[in-house]
Amino acid sequence: MDFKLGEKEQTLIGDIAKFAKKELPADWMGTRLIDQECADFEFEVSMSKKLAQKGWLVMSWPKEYDGQGASHLEQTVYEMEVSYWGIPGAWMGISGIQWVGPVLIMLGTDQQKKKYLPMIASGDMDGYWCTGYSEPNSGSDLASMQTKAVKQGDHYVINGQKVWTSFAHNARWCWLMARTDPNATKKHRGLSLFIVDMKSPGITVRPLPNYYGRHHFNEVFFDNVKVPAENLVGEENRGWYQLMQALAFERRSLGPITAGGFRRLVEDLVQYCKETTCEGKPLCQNPVIRHRLAEMAIDVEMIRMFAFQFTWRLTQGAIPVYEASRNKVTSDEIIRRFATSAADILGAYSQADPDSKWARFRGRIQGAYLGFPGNMIAAGTDEIEKSIIAQFRLGLPKSY
Amino acid sequence: MDFGFSEQQEMLRTMARDFLTKECPKAKVRELDKDESGYSPQIWKNMAELGWQGLVFPEEYGGTEANFIDLVVLMEEMGRNITPGPFFPTVALCALPILEFGTEEQKTQYLPDIASGKAIWTLAFTEPSASYKPAELNLSATSEGDSYALNGEKIFVADAHIANYLLVVARTAKSKNPEDGITLFIVDVKAPGLKLEKIHTIAGDRQFQVIFNKVKVPKANILGTVNKGWNIVNFILQRAAVLKCAEISGACQAVLDMTSAYAKERIQFDRPIGSFQAVQHKLADMLIDVEGIQYLLYQAACGIADGEPSQLQISIAKAKASEAYQNICIDGITAHGAIGFTYDHDIGFYYRRVRAAEFAAGNVDLHKELIAAELGL
Repeated sequence: MDFKLGEKEQTLIGDIAKFAKKELPADWMGTRLIDQECADFEFEVSMSKKLAQKGWLVMSWPKEYDGQGASHLEQTVYEMEVSYWGIPGAWMGISGIQWVGPVLIMLGTDQQKKKYLPMIASGDMDGYWCTGYSEPNSGSDLASMQTKAVKQGDHYVINGQKVWTSFAHNARWCWLMARTDPNATKKHRGLSLFIVDMKSPGITVRPLPNYYGRHHFNEVFFDNVKVPAENLVGEENRGWYQLMQALAFERRSLGPITAGGFRRLVEDLVQYCKETTCEGKPLCQNPVIRHRLAEMAIDVEMIRMFAFQFTWRLTQGAIPVYEASRNKVTSDEIIRRFATSAADILGAYSQADPDSKWARFRGRIQGAYLGFPGNMIAAGTDEIEKSIIAQFRLGLPKSY
Repeated sequence: MDFGFSEQQEMLRTMARDFLTKECPKAKVRELDKDESGYSPQIWKNMAELGWQGLVFPEEYGGTEANFIDLVVLMEEMGRNITPGPFFPTVALCALPILEFGTEEQKTQYLPDIASGKAIWTLAFTEPSASYKPAELNLSATSEGDSYALNGEKIFVADAHIANYLLVVARTAKSKNPEDGITLFIVDVKAPGLKLEKIHTIAGDRQFQVIFNKVKVPKANILGTVNKGWNIVNFILQRAAVLKCAEISGACQAVLDMTSAYAKERIQFDRPIGSFQAVQHKLADMLIDVEGIQYLLYQAACGIADGEPSQLQISIAKAKASEAYQNICIDGITAHGAIGFTYDHDIGFYYRRVRAAEFAAGNVDLHKELIAAELGL
């Protein structure tokens, strides 16, 4: 048993700190955590390029695909620090880095690897992705999706609608799941994964503003969209099983991102409470506030340990199933507790619009407050995740 | 980074689990719950034969030179089995500080008897304010020739009725900084002027009020340096907090296991109640807390084992464990339904220990305050 980071990881932490201080504006306080929202897309892409030049953007990919063959632990530390400093552009949309690349490396054809991986690895604007899973009538019951892909000669024709498609308005490609066999005996057996060019005729992207008016989600309509047959990922009708792998990659990053981002926020809040006086006393002397910050520190340490434990399981050659769900639920709970507690600490200022000059910390607390319910739904609702834990870790009967 | 236990630690865990299942089944726990002494001298002796009390002692004091993580593994199993007896006060609260701060004579005199199971020890620390803060320590020790006279009162002293020795935290001087003027004394329980009164507790553990009326203690029985005892107190509290976390960790795992098993076998509406999401999600929450306690505990314990204890990690572990233990027990009982509310079911025995565990080595509020201080507030 050993919980210390090695020299390699310590060096990486130092290097990322230097990079962040050099490349980010002096008053930069990070992206708005929840939806990784960066209002300035050009700046985001410029940071992707710089991360690529550093060799960090796809550090965990094998060297033959422009990666560094970095260890799981280095990758975890990198994600924590990127999140700590709020460096935008680290994910290449939603998400070239976290799942499109890794799944293509595992299952893609040589041609797919040659074409798509370098675009992601170089931090190019053409390496930005969105992901088309959810549909209006297929949320938690994702396998019931109805968007169809019908093979016609050397291409597939796609018809249907996706929803909650983050980043579709900026993405060059869509990582799309569609039904290829409507007669399959079980609904999850007739699905396939595709790479779709977002510039294809027949695609309409319509903004779906969230309840605080920000544009992050979209509806994406597919009207007789032609996709070359070579854009099928892996095996036809095996898409569901491939998607499970992609979701495991996706949930893997949640722990490090939450741990890093919230470590920073706790530090900033501590500073704020030292500098801010209320009723003649610094906030940091208020015992209620002291305890709330202590509770945040407990939460941050817990998700940090979960993130590292997950990573350690990977290094042991395991495929962590319930651990991904555990980290997802824990992250969500932490963000919820943090956002509501931090809003209480800000007091009346917590009602200021995140973009208003009255907002503290460039609106990050409000961003978390407004955004966390969305987090609890994205990438598998907490209810679904808890059922996965019950079924796969505790061996309870399937409940749905 | 390595989250795994060594092969030896896994073996120790298996051995401990087997021993406790066989020697101290729940029927025995129930029997001891009603027994006057509250512990089994035979089990205590058998534990010593396995080398448990002296696990971390050097060989010269009858020990097996295991490390602090090994002790954590052992205490997790004891917590899992809610083993009654004076192991925690003897080893965690007294033997560890004697090993660290005792003179060669004190170590030779006291440690082998602890390792062999002959001696039982306990710590007399808190006073009627039930606070761990130095300013609340008022039991006085006054120098009289080659001895000290102790006067005052201690409360919530575990297992004092079966102890041979008390380690007493006393005030030898009053000063501006309440941490100065604290001294630790080794006191024979049979010393004249020492009186015990039993405190009936919900856990059914044996706790006492101890009155000191001119109790004479030879100067040779001072542990550490006169007036400089607070650093020993800190040493004790840090290790005791982590070892109490280990007990809690084992207890929480046991509650989760029994609740999960019950959810699979209890049939209502023609199906196991574990197929209902209301029950599943409760169990998932319990599991997350159990694993949270474990990793925070192991991290804090590694710091101690490596000689670099982190107050932040220790307090985070203890605060989390204390809060989660309570929640896990409550959720476990309610998931069982009415059967969980009976004396015949084991789960209540775990719940009854929650308050004592929360108080041990600092309650949740104290540790949150320590965390706040570590954050620089």
